[in-house]
Amino acid sequence: MPGLATTEANTSASAFSMVSFDICETYASFLKNEELSPPLAAILALSKLIETSDAGTMLELVKALNDGAGALKASTSNPISLNAGCELFIAFVTLLPHDSASFSDLKLELVRQGQKYAAEALTYRDKIASLALGFIKDDSVILTHSYSRVVMKTLLRAHERKRISVYVTEARPRGLGLRTYEELTAAGIPCTVVLDSAVSYVMDKVDFVLVGSEAVVESGGLINAVGSNQIAIIAQAANIPFYALAESYKFHRLFPLSQYDLPTHTSNILSFPLSSGGNVTSPPTAGGIKFFHEKSTNAGCIRQMTPEQIACNPGVDYTRWEN
Amino acid sequence: MSATATITMSALPSKSTIKLAPAQSHAEASSSQAQNQPPKSQKQMTKTERREQQERQRAAKAATKAAGPQPGGSNQNSAQVKKGAPPAASTSASVKKGGKGPDGKPTKDTKETTSDDSARGLRIFSHFGLPKPPGPSKGDIHPAIIRLGLQFSEFKIVGANARCIATLTAFKTVIQDYVTPPNNTLSRHLLTHLSPQITHLVSARPMSVTMGNAIRELKLEISGSDIDLPEQDAKNLLCQKIDDYISERITIADQVIQETAGTKIKDGDVILTYARSSVVEQVLVGAWDDGKQFSVVVVDSRPMLEGKKLLSVLSAMGIPCTYLLLPSIGSVITEVSTVLVGAHSLHSNGAVFSRAGTALVAMMAKQHSVPVVVCCETYKFAETIQLDSFTKNELAPAGDIFSSFPLTRSRDTLTLNKQLNLEILNPLYDLTPPSSITAVVTEVGVIPPSSISSIPLALGRTTL
Repeated sequence: MPGLATTEANTSASAFSMVSFDICETYASFLKNEELSPPLAAILALSKLIETSDAGTMLELVKALNDGAGALKASTSNPISLNAGCELFIAFVTLLPHDSASFSDLKLELVRQGQKYAAEALTYRDKIASLALGFIKDDSVILTHSYSRVVMKTLLRAHERKRISVYVTEARPRGLGLRTYEELTAAGIPCTVVLDSAVSYVMDKVDFVLVGSEAVVESGGLINAVGSNQIAIIAQAANIPFYALAESYKFHRLFPLSQYDLPTHTSNILSFPLSSGGNVTSPPTAGGIKFFHEKSTNAGCIRQMTPEQIACNPGVDYTRWEN
Repeated sequence: MSATATITMSALPSKSTIKLAPAQSHAEASSSQAQNQPPKSQKQMTKTERREQQERQRAAKAATKAAGPQPGGSNQNSAQVKKGAPPAASTSASVKKGGKGPDGKPTKDTKETTSDDSARGLRIFSHFGLPKPPGPSKGDIHPAIIRLGLQFSEFKIVGANARCIATLTAFKTVIQDYVTPPNNTLSRHLLTHLSPQITHLVSARPMSVTMGNAIRELKLEISGSDIDLPEQDAKNLLCQKIDDYISERITIADQVIQETAGTKIKDGDVILTYARSSVVEQVLVGAWDDGKQFSVVVVDSRPMLEGKKLLSVLSAMGIPCTYLLLPSIGSVITEVSTVLVGAHSLHSNGAVFSRAGTALVAMMAKQHSVPVVVCCETYKFAETIQLDSFTKNELAPAGDIFSSFPLTRSRDTLTLNKQLNLEILNPLYDLTPPSSITAVVTEVGVIPPSSISSIPLALGRTTL
């Protein structure tokens, strides 16, 4: 999910960056464009860094890029997808076969390529949407999780030609599923909000599950908003297809061995509060929100389900006894 | 006339009738019956009768064969017994020793049929390559190779990396001592010169995948060596190439693996490892030197008990260690955060061929959702596909000859010896299926086991 650099991080980050160029600010300004996801904004920010850099050799330039990427990573609490974009661009810079006359020519070429890539990358969501159309049959019931731009594009595109209805999970605590609900309803697609805990209740009504992604990792797994793993496990148990949509710049060289091996995992997460009143570092609830929480561009509004939406949801569910 | 198997060291004069093991008593009983009837053709006989005829013919052939070279045979057998040799031979030899009484012939018959019996018992594992002392060397084998062969056969050098490095180092000596015969080129003749050396090593102990890959590279280098180069220069170049191979694909690869796998170790982790892998040892030592606080569980198994050496190395560094044997792994697995194991070889279907017992550890860990990380250099990749532990394996020599630690009882009492109707089978390797492995750490990165075949492509190579 897009994140802004907090003011404290900004001042510390500027220590890393060039005198007149603040990479975190540049990154933040790029992120204001709703269409750009963190990795793309990172690539554009790094291209800008090359533009304004006074490095004379490749080594210096790569070092500057690495410092910039480090600063960006430090400024946000969920750096995974951002990291993917940074690493992609830095690898591209190092491996580009160049026959430029001078180093400044090379820098210009790199900047140009970076901007060209970002511009082209904006078309990826459309491409994915048209490819995904083949998986969506007429009169499908789709379950999706939280808010994803690529899934939105796909659903809106499908709605142009086919009839679909969508269940979307609330995706607490930020309630981004409700944003999906608002946008889909505005487009005329029948949509219902489902409690995160009611996914197994609704699973048998669903034809397939469609989610976006923050990153695709080397083990072949997916990193996405919390709750996606639960939905995937339930879908597998119910033999419902689970589709994930991911742009190519989200592929990451990470290989998490378990949930606790993710770069976003800290010792705070899901830790028990200390019993003595004196040395409590932070109560778990605050720590949990710190993990998820990235102030969104619309001033951190946390959506909640309305009582009517809650009334649509079940109160109890049934666990089968089976092996 | 039923028969019981009675082989005793004190030779009782046995009757002239053949004394057979219980399994063959049925055949014996029916064969006497068949003698009363006129001989039938094979088609007319029933299956049991055909089998009995076959048994009789085999016994008769063995008896006539033993009649001839018997004195020579017994000498050879007793010599083999002294060397602690293959189980089948030793059983028959001990039988022979006991049966060597005044009645030479009947006891000889007894010996033959029982050795037949025990050989049949081990037959299904005969392709495992029983450990044997290296035979007489044909052709001129370089003394370094002879020494190496002896070290291999006595398991003084164990482990895929160690064996490969020792082999390549020995070959460097061989190459330096080699002189091209006149009217010949180094690139062609050196290969033929090396072949008997390699054969000698293989006869001592079957070649490991690492040795195979390294030797293949070496042969490629030799055949590609420049004809115009003066001989000493060519030899120096080859030795340099060997050094580069060892350095690049083993030593430096191990360092990269140490750093990569080290990032997977966090403070407070409990790392479980099995037997002794040189790479895992390096990873743990490196992570400890970096200041990470973790503890290690070393799981070990007989007969090799290699974990003891790893335990001593880790404890000397101050790492808190727990040591246990394989059967008790179920009690500790819930406390473990990660399993780190090494490999003998990795196969294209993602399976890991490693010390016997690794598969149990990996499957147990998977059951308990503990990630299993295999540390392996890319040169250990074999392009073959292996589906089970059975088709290709090796047997460890019987007896606990590998532990150098002081024992509480004499070594003989701890050693399980072959007896009649008891075969000792100690496979050295087993296969861990790719489903039990979470990740493979190589010097080119962390990869899921299913992607192994894509590694050469990533390295820009066409072959491994």
